[in-house]
Amino acid sequence: MSGGEEGGSESGEKIRSAKENLSLILPSLSTTTLLGNQEIYSQISRLLRQPNSGAGDNNLCRWLYDTFQSGVSELQLLVLSFVPIIAGVYLSRVAERKPQAGFEAVLLALYGHQTSSRAGQPVSVTLPDLSQGSVYHESKSPNKNNSSSTVAVVSPALEPHGTVRSTRRARIVGVALELFFAKIPHMPASSKIHFCEFCKIWAGQDGDMYMNFEEDVSGKELELKEKEKEKEKGEGRVPLPWELLQPVLRILGHCLLGTNHNDCELFGAASEACRCLFARSMHDVNPQAILPMRSLLRLSKPLLTNHLLPDPTDLPFSSVISL
Amino acid sequence: MESCEHGNVPVREFHANGSRMVASEVEAKLDQGNIQEAEDALREGLSLNFEEARALLGKLEYQRGNVEGALRVFDGIDLQAAIQRLQPSLSEKPPVKKGRTRNESPSSVSQHAASLVFEAIYLKAKSLQKLGRFSEAANDCKSILDAVEKIFYLGIPDIQVDNKLQEIVSHAVELLPELWKQAGCYNEAVSAYRRALLSQWNLDNDCCARIQKSFVVFLLYSGVEASPPSLAVQIDGSYVPKNNLEEAILLLMILLKKNFLGKMKWDPSVMEHLTFALSICSQTSILAKQLEALMPGVYHRIDCWNSLALCYSAAGQNDCALNVLRKSLHKHERPDDLTSLLLAARICSEDPHLAAEGVNHAQKAINNAHGPNEHLKGVALRMLGLCLGKQAKVSSSDFERSHLQSKALESLVAAIRLEQNNSDLIFELAVQYAEHRNLPAALRSARHFFNKTGGSALKAWRLLALILSAQQRYSEAEVVTDAALDQTARWEQVPLLRLKTKLKISQSQPMDAIETYRSLLALVQAQKKSFGSLQISSKVEDDKLNEFDIWHGLANLYASLSHWKDAEICLQKARELKKYSAALMHTEGILFEGRGQNEEALRAAINAVLVEPNYVPCKIMMGALIQKMGPKYMAAARSSMTDALRIEPTNCRAWYYLGLLNKQDGRISDAADCFQAASMLEESDPIESFSSIT
Repeated sequence: MSGGEEGGSESGEKIRSAKENLSLILPSLSTTTLLGNQEIYSQISRLLRQPNSGAGDNNLCRWLYDTFQSGVSELQLLVLSFVPIIAGVYLSRVAERKPQAGFEAVLLALYGHQTSSRAGQPVSVTLPDLSQGSVYHESKSPNKNNSSSTVAVVSPALEPHGTVRSTRRARIVGVALELFFAKIPHMPASSKIHFCEFCKIWAGQDGDMYMNFEEDVSGKELELKEKEKEKEKGEGRVPLPWELLQPVLRILGHCLLGTNHNDCELFGAASEACRCLFARSMHDVNPQAILPMRSLLRLSKPLLTNHLLPDPTDLPFSSVISL
Repeated sequence: MESCEHGNVPVREFHANGSRMVASEVEAKLDQGNIQEAEDALREGLSLNFEEARALLGKLEYQRGNVEGALRVFDGIDLQAAIQRLQPSLSEKPPVKKGRTRNESPSSVSQHAASLVFEAIYLKAKSLQKLGRFSEAANDCKSILDAVEKIFYLGIPDIQVDNKLQEIVSHAVELLPELWKQAGCYNEAVSAYRRALLSQWNLDNDCCARIQKSFVVFLLYSGVEASPPSLAVQIDGSYVPKNNLEEAILLLMILLKKNFLGKMKWDPSVMEHLTFALSICSQTSILAKQLEALMPGVYHRIDCWNSLALCYSAAGQNDCALNVLRKSLHKHERPDDLTSLLLAARICSEDPHLAAEGVNHAQKAINNAHGPNEHLKGVALRMLGLCLGKQAKVSSSDFERSHLQSKALESLVAAIRLEQNNSDLIFELAVQYAEHRNLPAALRSARHFFNKTGGSALKAWRLLALILSAQQRYSEAEVVTDAALDQTARWEQVPLLRLKTKLKISQSQPMDAIETYRSLLALVQAQKKSFGSLQISSKVEDDKLNEFDIWHGLANLYASLSHWKDAEICLQKARELKKYSAALMHTEGILFEGRGQNEEALRAAINAVLVEPNYVPCKIMMGALIQKMGPKYMAAARSSMTDALRIEPTNCRAWYYLGLLNKQDGRISDAADCFQAASMLEESDPIESFSSIT
């Protein structure tokens, strides 16, 4: 992210003015620091969920837009922590035909940032072929340069967009999520939990039947049936094309298996999101989604019982202590 | 050495220098907080020096679960000084090689001292870890590795190293990256992983595999972009991972290979991580190759087939996927597997010639959607509806067709009762209604889909425009098309512009149509230029096809305006892009017919039918031209026309000409029926076929 090389005083000035402007929106703002502040996070989150929060004349959207455009990386991180809520509220409201120019301006700012920092180029990876040696292994035929390596596009080229055209909406939101993922180690846990909650809404599908995934589940059915009745079905369900689903998968992978210091609340939220999205992929009969979702479900299962496994870095205990 | 679980070691003993001592006495002193006395007791009882006694005490405290106590004991030893002292004694080792006796290597004493010191530091690090003091723990752990690297600067020799020392070194190598991660020092963690995997620590296979896997998890899920391994460790011509995904996939493939070679116990999570990573890159065909290369018996064969089917299908190789699914759904395998049934049905629903098979799969899926899978019943019904709808397209009789279409509609309606919010299903229902020519219902569903998806799908716009055009509401259709153009990026506008030209023609605005064709052509040519450099063959083919369509459409348009010369030029352009095309021959026929050269026109039509036996416009043209040749050929003309209607029963032009034939034949009431059918169909004819959208 840009802004790291700017002079300390200049960015300090920008942070100060961002705080002043925010205090006009949040009159109760009494705190001295903007960054890493749980209270500010929850106050802004609450405002973002209000009925007309995404409108073009919304002050908070304006503030988020200006704050991101300030180019100060700490401020940009602060704005990014609201990406899950903005994307979540925005997508769920599309069907209601509410004016959302404010949200769109923020999302376009993020999209534009990615477009210019990548110069619009696609992000691709060259997949390894083990017949070619590497730092981690030797190959029997070391000089085999003609091996045809596969290049896979992880994120396609970006065209500049001045407005959100409806058919590009998923891509623009997807790119904002890509940016969120790129900075995810700096994101607060509550932001990730909000993301997981929106995944459930987007899936529009209950995932409880996969609670005991790939296990023998005789006798558990009764519980499920009762729960089914309580739930409202599928409000807020959105189309999940690959350009949106792919960054969603990466973020979910992080929430489940990343370094989150055993945050149980986050893990629980991510597991549930995962089950719901797996159910959705089954309902869409979409193999591209079924495969990675199924893997995430399988990988996250043993983590629940992980603390019972022996730690390989523990030295064996013995009844005889010797030199 | 008998190892037990923590807490299950009631009687402990100390062994050293040939003596033994029961630990309880020492433990009692420790419990009173008397480290010094405990130490003295040990030194006396086992004739130990200060450091040895402390090391044993620390170990005792650690094993008792008293990590704070252990830390206090270890803090009493100057471990860094001990390390310093180790170095000269051990580095004397290299010169010793010749004429050594086999029983005791001279370095074994110093190795023993080293393992004593390293064990103490290691336990100190573990104690700090358990107390949450991760950075301190990491620094201690790192000091072990630094010391080992200095001592064995050529790597740890395989044979001459003491077991105990090797054990502690391996543990420290594995622990260090974990500590840095827990401390939140991610860059240090990455270097620790690389140091573990790229230096010679003489790790055993299991330990190395564990570290590789742990690094993979970090690379894939931490979200921390690790800088690529430094160039210093790269070999010429070798594969250099440039980012997390590449490095993770490389390590996973190496882990799989170790498994093939029997160097490692099978770990199912490796395959799951690889599945996740390759799915993210949309490279499931490579995943399929890895699955195919697995040893038999790793997965149950049916599980393997089902995973392969998912991989192939996700990679767009539906025919391969279906072949594998047929194996796994065989009656002797797992014929009732719901996921496989649904996937097979879905694949079959895309091809009219497979649709009948798909109906079977879907029916079985419906029968098996019970218990915990009951929620998939709507999906199974939906697949059934889609397959029936496709099957209707190739049915041989009118009766069968309408029967299948009604059943398709019935299934989709039943599905939507269970899946009210499934927008794809709403869309499919709209298409089904439209093909059934129930235009008001089609429009309702199409609007519903449009609103639910907020216009994000191009197909929603196109379907709306087509339904409106079928209702002869051309100007509204044009409004929709223009709005759609406004909401799409430039490269996706081709189908919309094509729609627009047809709308202009339908509204008898040929000049506007020509104008639209021009912008369409400019777009396709610009696209060719920008994608041409990327050499994506499918894109290049697409562009060729688009350009061909444009010239062909223009040729038809000019022909309808009797601008024969312009039409001829466009035809020539189209011919350069595609040589043998029934559609082009049809246009040629129109040109000949327009200029009164009926015989040449008929020849063109017959040629076209030879190229593409089911090309309806030429069948109709053939029939119409034969009819002009006189009553003698009436039967031939009629057979051509009924043939056309068999293939496309909703073709209003075919009904019209059949009516003419009947009239000429004197079958007035039949003729009237045909004309009526033609006029009814014309009133509900879309400008492009509804199935062109899906």
